[in-house]
Order: sequence, then structure tokens, then C-alpha cells
Amino acid sequence: MGPLLSLSQFWFLCETVAGVGSEYLSVTAAAEERNVNTHAAMALPPPDPQFVLRGTGAPVNTLHFCCRNQEQDKPLLFSGSANGAVHVWNLRTRRTESVLEGHGGASVLWVQTLNSRDALISQGRDLRVCMWDLAEGRSVVTDSILTESVGFCQCSLLDREGGHWLLAVPGADMAAVRVLDLPSKTPVCTLKPDAKLGMPMCLKLWQPDSGSSPLLWAGYEDGSVSLWNLSERSLLSRLACHAEPVMSLDFDPGKLRGVSGSSEKAINSWTLDGQQSLKLQDSVELVNPGISHLCIREDRRILATAGWDHRIRLLGWKKLKPLAVLQYHTDVVQCVAFSDHDVPSKRLMAAGSKDQRISFWSVYNQI
Amino acid sequence: MAVIDDPREAFGSLRPVCVLLTREPTVHNVERLRTQLQGLSDSALQQLQEYILFPLRFALKTPGPKKDSQLLAVVECVAYVLTSTCVQSWELLRDLFSELCVCLCSPSNPGKPAPVSEELKTAVVQALDALLHAAYGDIVLHLFEPPMMPALGLAISLLLELGEHEKSRKLQTAALKCLQVFLLQCDCSQLHRSMNEEEERMLGRTFASFLPGITQGLSRVVTGDVKQGHAVTVSAMRVWFKTVVLVMDEKQLSKDKEKPVVELGRVGELMVQRTKEWVKDTGGKLAVLLKKMLACSSGHRHWKVRMEVVELSSHLLSRCHGTLVDSISPLLEALVGLVNDESLEVRSRCDEVLKSMAEQNLIGGNQAFIDILSENLHSLTTSLPRLMRSADDQDKLSTLNLFLGYLKILGPRVSAVLNSAAHLQRISKALMQVLEMDVTDVRIVEERRFHNEARGEQHTELLERATQKKYFRYFTDERIFALLQQLCRVLGYYGDLYLLVDHFMDLYRESVVYRKQAALVLNELIAGAAGMNLETSVGQKDLVSQENLKAAVTSVTEEYTSLVNWHLVTTSVESEQGDSTAFSQSRLLSITMSANTDYLKSSAGLNPTIGLMNSNIWQICIQLEGIGCFALALGPQFRLLLITALYPVLEKAGDETLLISQAALGAMRDICKGCGYNSLKDLINQNSDYLVNDISLNLQRLSQHPHTPRVLSVMISNSDASLLPLVVDIIQDVLMALDHCYDERAPVFCVVLHSLIGAFAVRWFPAETSSRNECRNPDGERDLPEEMTRFLLDYHRQRQVAEGNAAEEAELEDTEMPPPAPEPDDSEEGPAVKPELPPHISIAKEVMERCIHLLSDKSLRLRLKVLDVLELCVTVLQSHENELLPMAHRAWPPLVQRLTNDDPLAVLRAFKVMCTLGETCGDFLRRRVSKDVLPRLTGSLVKQAPVSARAGPVYTHTLAYKMQLAVLQGLGALCCRLDLGKQAAELHCALLICLHYLSCRQPPKLIIGCIVFQHLIQVDPDSVWLTLNELYCPNSYEPKHSSLHAVQLSGMGKQRNEFTENILKLLQEMQ
Repeated sequence: MGPLLSLSQFWFLCETVAGVGSEYLSVTAAAEERNVNTHAAMALPPPDPQFVLRGTGAPVNTLHFCCRNQEQDKPLLFSGSANGAVHVWNLRTRRTESVLEGHGGASVLWVQTLNSRDALISQGRDLRVCMWDLAEGRSVVTDSILTESVGFCQCSLLDREGGHWLLAVPGADMAAVRVLDLPSKTPVCTLKPDAKLGMPMCLKLWQPDSGSSPLLWAGYEDGSVSLWNLSERSLLSRLACHAEPVMSLDFDPGKLRGVSGSSEKAINSWTLDGQQSLKLQDSVELVNPGISHLCIREDRRILATAGWDHRIRLLGWKKLKPLAVLQYHTDVVQCVAFSDHDVPSKRLMAAGSKDQRISFWSVYNQI
Repeated sequence: MAVIDDPREAFGSLRPVCVLLTREPTVHNVERLRTQLQGLSDSALQQLQEYILFPLRFALKTPGPKKDSQLLAVVECVAYVLTSTCVQSWELLRDLFSELCVCLCSPSNPGKPAPVSEELKTAVVQALDALLHAAYGDIVLHLFEPPMMPALGLAISLLLELGEHEKSRKLQTAALKCLQVFLLQCDCSQLHRSMNEEEERMLGRTFASFLPGITQGLSRVVTGDVKQGHAVTVSAMRVWFKTVVLVMDEKQLSKDKEKPVVELGRVGELMVQRTKEWVKDTGGKLAVLLKKMLACSSGHRHWKVRMEVVELSSHLLSRCHGTLVDSISPLLEALVGLVNDESLEVRSRCDEVLKSMAEQNLIGGNQAFIDILSENLHSLTTSLPRLMRSADDQDKLSTLNLFLGYLKILGPRVSAVLNSAAHLQRISKALMQVLEMDVTDVRIVEERRFHNEARGEQHTELLERATQKKYFRYFTDERIFALLQQLCRVLGYYGDLYLLVDHFMDLYRESVVYRKQAALVLNELIAGAAGMNLETSVGQKDLVSQENLKAAVTSVTEEYTSLVNWHLVTTSVESEQGDSTAFSQSRLLSITMSANTDYLKSSAGLNPTIGLMNSNIWQICIQLEGIGCFALALGPQFRLLLITALYPVLEKAGDETLLISQAALGAMRDICKGCGYNSLKDLINQNSDYLVNDISLNLQRLSQHPHTPRVLSVMISNSDASLLPLVVDIIQDVLMALDHCYDERAPVFCVVLHSLIGAFAVRWFPAETSSRNECRNPDGERDLPEEMTRFLLDYHRQRQVAEGNAAEEAELEDTEMPPPAPEPDDSEEGPAVKPELPPHISIAKEVMERCIHLLSDKSLRLRLKVLDVLELCVTVLQSHENELLPMAHRAWPPLVQRLTNDDPLAVLRAFKVMCTLGETCGDFLRRRVSKDVLPRLTGSLVKQAPVSARAGPVYTHTLAYKMQLAVLQGLGALCCRLDLGKQAAELHCALLICLHYLSCRQPPKLIIGCIVFQHLIQVDPDSVWLTLNELYCPNSYEPKHSSLHAVQLSGMGKQRNEFTENILKLLQEMQ
């Protein structure tokens, strides 16, 4: 954590004081302390975005990087926006390669690639999950699945060996989650809690190293996070960690530790102990309420959150230490994503916002 | 005349003449013989050769003084005979030879030419020439056998004397040509027998004895006076090298089994044994002579001489490189120096020679040639800095030519030389030195870009202008700069691009003193590496791979556009009063980075010197040129670099300094060309995403990027309406940024808003109709009686109305009206939903909103600018009255403040805005104007009227005058537009005031300015007429009928006064 700290020392930590207005910035206690230690002039302001992509023409709902294993040095980013289009961005030219229209104008909630950049899966609010073939310049929907869910819950994909995937989809029944096998589309199971938890808000499939059975994390409308065993179709553990609906969660399989954000003013982290039971571990108080999305970086050092207060927050994953508040967007930030570039120093963070822009940030990647 | 072929007949005809000639060798007789000879065929002549020659030889041999003319005739005749015949016997040859030689040498001193006429000498020399050509078979070789050496020596020395000392060029060349004939290597078209090896060796051996004399004599000729003409020099050089080649021929010497010749007595002493020592010794001496000759001739003005240098070098190098070891390097140098010759022939021949030589050497597996070249290049680089420092333009030119020649010949092997750090250091040092620019020209800083809306059109003209001429400290000749550029390109072409770029980048970073030069060099290096603008003579070579080139371009571009090197002080601080301290701090920082120069001292103070600013301007220009050049070098590949490079270029295109903005536009054009865009507009529109991205990010950090708004205004001024959808987004950002820091940065933003709204108003969305500019005439034109009738009818009706009789009539009218058609029911959308405004209208609205706030800014300059923008906003919005009127309503109070309580300048500008508002908003403003503004304006007019009436001619330059004029000019239109006629009181008031200005004491322009009356006449002619007549009435009006009152006007019967003239004029206009 050494270099991380030294870098962060120079950053102001700005938070907006709720209710006072967006211009008024205050310095949190932690930053103040650092400020006392280091001369004010030495403090660097938080960075600007490296660049910004415009042209989606609608709020950006979801982002997915595809920079790995690219032969022609053509890093891609897929963005799904509220007008139903999936934009394929070439990050080298910073322009759209193509625009995929497959959801009839209904908002795209989630995009993901299957193994390679040539196969894409997208979920739209037209109650469909589309499978795309993008190889050799094609852009055709090869297959689609009806989700039957009218909510905003994003699907989750898990790569299993042998060209098979598991896809968790919010079910027709308000509280249920369906899990399907891809590409066969055969249903694996349907998970429906006994208690009244409300609709699932966010899903994340997880294949533990030891156990054979894949597990599913689900955040519910009542603010609880649950862990399901897919093969036994049983609820392993449940933790009521928020008072408001869980908006987003992420899980670090290495430390068996996860984090969730809701529409309230806090980010909570929780751990999974040996008995497969969840425990609240840590909580970070925010100045403004509302986390629409959060994401742990692949190296498990940084947590990024997309805030309703137009800000992106960076926290150290280990202790949930606030590192920086990135300010650029002029509307709710809806999603954050970390690039999977092979070269760590070229890895970027992207954030999509309701102001129709996607900002790219180069943060803490000089290791 | 019939040709006599039969020898007998010929003999018969010749005999008397010959006899006569023998007896009396007069000119006349020789002439007769000559005419007779012309009648003979060649064969007859050949048979009678000896017979004919006898009297002639006799005439030559007769002792005693002879007349020049006589001898001349004889010799010419001999020559004639010899040219047509051949000499078959050795004896005849020998005798003739010696007889002719005797003619040439002075009787007292046989070594010197005789003091005879030039014609005679020429004739003798030509006769000798003819004699040698006439020698049949191998008998001529007897001439070169040892016993003949004294005679031969005499002839040669005589010819040398003639060649060297004679005044006549003809004689000189003849003598030199004759010498060449002696070498049996004549250039003439006659058939020559070719010699075998043995014969050649013999010839060489003989001439070895004469070599010192010949070479020295001829080198004196070559190095002699330039005025002697190129022909002499050329032939001297040719004989020189032919002799040397003959004697020092490697092939001969390598097999020279110099058999000791039979003892020959004294003659033997003359013979030279061409031993190894002798060769070495001679070679050394020849090298000295050669260097002298080359120094003179390789820079000779005439191309034929330089061509001869090439020939000389070629022959010597190919035939004698083993024997003339010391001369090889000067010879090569001469050749290399001529590779870039002005003359195409010389250049191509030189190329050919060098190529063939390189091939020969390489075939032989002999690297010596290249080694020597490299060695020469090394030594040249060593002395290069010194030469660049001290030599004059001409010398620099030749040195650089030589250097370039080496580079071209060595080709890819140049990189070996460059790999030596010391040499690269030397080269770069020399380049840095010689390329130092002269930055003392004050105009560079002074020339400003002209701000105005119609700049788009002007640019196209500016574009045609070539790049700015550069001035250098150490040379003035343009060719030197061209040569240096070429040199750098060749370096880039052949050298290791990575190494070179790295080295010069280091220099660039090292000191501000080198920065401009290094940038110049870097630009050319990369152009060269891409094979751009190279002369054709450069040998083919695989170009640097695109990847490497791209990497180099990327890194150089990055360095160029980095903050420290891009944002330099180019204007003095006072002229940028708007800039906050934060900015100047950052700029100062950039200077201190380039420390350890004397610039630091001057920049430490807040006021940088002109020299420093000029230097900065040039640096930016060179960097801009570089970017354009890189774009051309990389071609479409450069498109990717536009992500980072385009924004800085546009930023500079908006710079205030003319030179910089020109250079930036040049760069933009180059980028267009390189990347394949058709126009600047395409370039900007297609890359607007990159630009918008940078603008948006930089707007967040305005203190670091104070020029961000400029980029937008450059985009706007170089593109058309199609750009608008692409930048709507960013305009919002700009407005937001303006809201955030309206106090510090407002001037910068105002420029952008001005260019934006100006583009809307003038170029992108010009107003569709100009009808509103016309003054409305409510009544239109009607003839008088009709008008009268109407007036009376109206009057009657009004009376009725006043008396309450009209009600029924009105009802009647109402019932006549058809019931109003039910309005189409479009309430589905709801009354609250307004149609979406075109983007430019909504932007103009928002801009106007900001203007309203900024109108009361404390800086006068800003207020003035804002007033301009406001006026443009009004023009744009005039087509959307629903939007304009509320805005006008809001803008009114601050505008009134400007009109009433502000600096005169602002008042003036504000008045103009009000006039525009009046034109567009019409009666919406009527009451406000008459209430808020008119009293003030009229008040000031009244106050000023006596002042201007009394003032002298200087008054027309004052602000007060301008103010008066503007108000007078605008008032009429304003009244007309606002229909003030309906408020008689105001109109009357205005009229009264303007009357003051009808005085002939007012400055003439103010009187003309009173077109206010013309407008007023249109509004209410009657009232104007009355007012004018009150002041002065030229006519008296008699009532037509006794029942009518007599008209009494106060102006009647007055004396002519100051107003008379102008009132009369106006009254005339009214009729």
C-alpha cells in the first residue's frame, strides 16, 4: 500500500456538503489532517479526466472494457445507453467503431463480452437479453432471451470451462432470480427467497476456488445482501446492511470481502467467514447520498463508486480509505468500470453519466 | 574549278609556280601556289607532296631576316599541304618538325618564343599540329625516341611558354591543343591510330622527363588570372591530366620493367627512370600542384571548368589512384563538392563518375575509397564549427555543399560517422551556430491579428502568403538556409533517426539558446526521414519504417506542445491586463525552466524584452511549422496524433500575434494536406470531438489553460453552420465556466462569445429579410386630395364618436364581420409546451443573458466588448420576437445605465446597441426610450450645442463630437422606428433640440448629421414644417379666401440668420 499512500497524500479530498450547493467544497477531516502535514502549495488538485467521449446521445447506463489480448492494438469499450444503443468505442482513435441497435430504443442496462470481443451480450429494458456476433465487422443479434423482468437489475455472467456460461437474470416473479446456461439457454435454477426481500437490485455470480458449486450474490430492495448456492438452490447467508435498496455490490473473492452501495449516505463492506455467513465489516459515511454503481479494481487495491452527486469516489479497498473525489460530470454518474488492459500503466477507469458523457481517468496506475 | 586528278597534269600546272616561288619567295607567289593547290585532288597532292613542300621549306630555311607576312604565308601553306596529305617518311617529319620549331623560337635565346606576330605563332603552332596529324603510321613514334628528346623538349617548352604567356586566347588554346597532340591524345575528329601497350609505355617514359615542366607550367596557367577565359583553363587542365595519366599510369608502372636503355650519351641523362622512389616523389609534388589547381578551379564560375575538374578527378582517380596516393583525398573532395553543383550537366557527370568509381572499388573488394570519404567527412566535421563561425557566405556555401556531397555519397554509411559522439557533437554544434536566428525585428511582436467577425474571409487571403522569411545572424544568403535544410533532410534520410532525434531533442531541452535551431533541425530531420523534398540525386534507400517515424514524430510533437515549450510569453504584460497573476506565474515558471541563459535576467522582471518575446514567437512558429511538416511526413497516419496535436495548433491560430497565427494556419493547412482533409472546415468538423474534449477539460482548469476559449473561437471562425451541432455541448460548458469565473476570465470569454454570435449573425444564420431596416411609413404614398378627404372623414367620425353617435355604427360593423372561425384545436400539446427553439437561438438567448450580467462589469474594455456582443445577440434574435422581447426587457435597465452614467465610449456603443434594439424591437421600446433615454440624450445635446458651435477644427477629434454625431445620426432612425410621432411632445422636444444643430456655425458633419430631420419628416411632416417655419420662414402665406385667417408664423419676415440656409434646404426637400 506504500506507493498508494504517498500519492494520495497530495490529493485534496473534496466532498460536497449536502444541501449547501455544488459549488461549496469542504475538506473532510482526513484530508484536513493531511493538509496540515503537507504544505498547501504541494497538494495537487485531483486529476482531470484524461479524455471524455461524447456522442451517445443519451444517458450512459453501463460500460464494459475489452482491451485484453488485442492483436491490432485496438482497445475497445462498449457502452450501453438509455436510447437503446450499444456504442463500440475504439479507445485509440477515441471514436465509435459502430453502434449496435438491438433493443428497439429501450434502455440498455448491461453489456458484457463472452470471452472475446466478437461475442457480446446486452440486456435491455425491452425485457430481452441479446447475444451479438461482432466478428469480421458483423453486428447481428444471433439469439435472445426473454427476461420477463421490468426492473433495473443488471444480469450477471459467469464463465465456466468448456465454452459454457452461467447467466443470472432477474426473473418474471418480482423477487426471483433465474439462472440459465449459455449458449444452450437451459434454465439451471430459479432462486426465490422465502422472506419478503423485494426485487433483486443487483446480482453477481461467483465461482469459489474451493467449492464446486457456483454462488450468487444478490442485493435486494429491502437493503439486504444475500448469498445463494446455485446447486442447492439455497440461501446461504443474508445480511441486512442497508436501510434502502442495494444499488450495487462487488465482491473480492481473494479476501472474501464484498462491498455494497445503496441510495443512502453510506458504503458498507462485509465479509464472508468460514461458515459461509456474512458479517458487516466496515462502513464509510458519504456527504451526499446515493451510489449508483461501484467496482473493485482487478488488482483489489482501489474501489470506485459512481455517485448520484455527480462525483466519482476512489477509496482504498483495504481499509476503505477515501482517496479522491473526481469531479467532472454534470449529472448523476451511473457506472464505473476499470479497463483490463494488459499493461497496468495503461489501465484506465471509465465512468458513464446521465449527462451523456463517458469520462476516462488515469488513477493510481503507476505501480 | 575542275579538280585535277592526274599527277602529271598537276605537276605541269604546279611547276612554274614552284619554280617561281623558289626563286622569289614572296607572299604573292605563295598565294599563287596556294590557289593552284586548291585545284588538286588529295591523291595528286599526296604524290607531289615533297615536290610542293620543297620550295616552301626552302623559303623557311633561307638564312637572313624574313618578313613575318612572308613566313606566315609559307607556314600556312605548309599547314594546308599537311592537312591534306600524310607524311610517310621519318626524315621529312623530323626536318619539318625542326624547321617549324625554328620558326617559333627566338634566334638569340632558343628557349624563348620568337618576338614575331601572334598570327605567325598561331600559324606555326597549327602547322605543327597538322604535321603530327599527318604523320603516317608509327613513324610519329620515332619522335619520342630518346635521340629526339632535345628537339621535343624544345618544342614542348616553347608551346608551354606560348600557352602561359601569350595574350591572345586563340594562340594560347592553339598551343595547349598542340601540346595535347604531342601526347597523341587529341580530341579532334580525325582518325587516330591506337597505341599498343608497349608504345604507350615508351611515350610515358619520354614524357616522364617533361612532366615537371609541363605540370608546373600548366598549373600556373590554371591558377592564373581568371580573366584569361574558361577555354584556356579547360584546355590547360585537360593537357595537365592527360600528361599525368600518361606518365603516372598505374597499369604501366606496375609492369614497368624499366629496362635500362642503351647508353645514349648525353641524351641519356635526360631520360628518367620511373622507379618506385621517383613515383612516390613525383606523386607528392603533383599533389601539391593539384591542390593549388583544385582550389582555383572547383569553385570556378564557369561550369565547363568545373566539368573539367570532374573529368580530371575521374581520370586521375581511375588511372592513377595507386600512384597518386596523396592526391586522392583532394580529388574526392573536389568531386564531392561538385555533387550539388548548380549546373545539371556537372551534377550528373559527377554522379556518374562517383558511382562508377564506387562500383569499381567495391568490385575490387577495396574499402579504401569509402574509408577516405569517411576520413574526409570526419575532418570536415571537425572544422565545421570553425568554418561556420568565421567564413563568409560564399565559403559557407561551398563548405556546406561539400558536406552535403559527402552525406549523399556516403549514403547509409553516414550513420557510422554519426555514431561517433564527438562528430555528432561537432555537426550539431555547427548547425546550432549557423542557424542562430536574428530576433531583433520589432515588427514581429508588434504585428497584431485583426479581430473582426468577417475574419473567415480574410484568412483565405492570408493563407496564400508563404511562410514568414527567417533572418539569421550569421548569414544572409537564402541559398545557405536552403542548403542547410537539405543537409538536415539528407541526414534524416540516411542517418539513424532515433539517434538524431534523441540528440537534437537533448539540445532542444538543454538551453533556450539552442531551442529554435534544434527545432528547425528536428523538423527537417523528420521531413528527410520521410523522404520529403529531397533532391532527386539522392540514392535510393529503404525509408525508415512508418512505426519508427511515427514514434519520433509523436515524441517530438509531445515535446513541442508541452506546456513549458508551448505557452511562452509573446506579448508584454500590459497588453494582457485581463490575465490574472496565476497565469503570468505559470508563464514565468516556464522561462525559469530554461535557465542558465541571459534571458533569465530579463524575464525575471515582469516585463520581458522584445528580443525574448521575438525569440519566443519564432520558437512557436518553428514548432508550428514542424507540426505541419510532421503531418505531411506521416500522411494519414497523423490523424491519430490529432488527438493531442490539433488543439494546441488551433490555440495558436487564435493567438494575437500575427506571425504565430499565420504559422498556425499554415500548419493547419499542412495537416489538411497530410491527413487528406479537403479544407480547414473539414479538418475542424471531423475532429471536433477531439477539440471539444480538450476544450471541455481545459475549461475546468482555466488558470492553467487560459487560452482555451480561443480554440473555440478559431473553430467557429474557420467553419460553418454545420459545426454548430458538434459544439452545442461545449458552448454550454463555456457559458458555465463563464458563470464560475466571470470576474477574472470574462474578457477571454467575451472574445469567444463575440466570435460565436458574430458568426451566427453574419455568416451562419444571416437575417432573412432586411425589411425591418426600412423606416416604416405608416401612411404610405397617397396623393394630396385623397389624403385630405380621408382626413376630413376621420375628423368627422371622431367628432361623432366623441358625441356618442357612433355606437350603433360600430355594432353594425361588428355584425357584418363573419364570426371568427373556430381555432384549430392544437391544445393537445398543451399551451405550456413551446416548440423547441433552433439551437442558435437558444444559445444567443443564453449569451444575451450573460451579457446582461456583464454589462455592469467594472472594466470598461469588457463593457464595450459586451455591448458589441449584445448588439449581435439582438441581431440574431430578431427573427424570434417572442424570445427577443423578454430579453430586451431584461437588458434594458443596465443598458440605460450605460447610456446615462458611463464613460462616453460606452455611451456611444450603448447608443448603437439601442438603435439596433430600436430597429428590431420597434414600438416595444417606445415608452422606455422616451422616458429613460431621450431626456438624457437631448439634454446632453443641448448642452453640447453651444460648445460645438464655438469649437475649432480640433473638436472633430474629440469624443464629445463623436458622441454628438452618433446621437444625431441615430436619433432620427430611432424616432422613426419607435414611432415617436404618436407622442407629439417627445417628438417636438427632439425637434427643438436638433434645431440647434442647423446652425451654420456647427461643424459641417454635424449639420449633415441632421438627417434626423429627414426621418422626422417621415414621421410627422406637418410638425416639422411648422417648427422649421417658426424659426425661419422664407414665404409669406396669403389666405386664399377672405373668410380665412391670415397665417402668422413667428419665423416670418425674420432676417437671414445662421439657420436660414439649412432650413431652406430642408424645406425644399419637404416639397
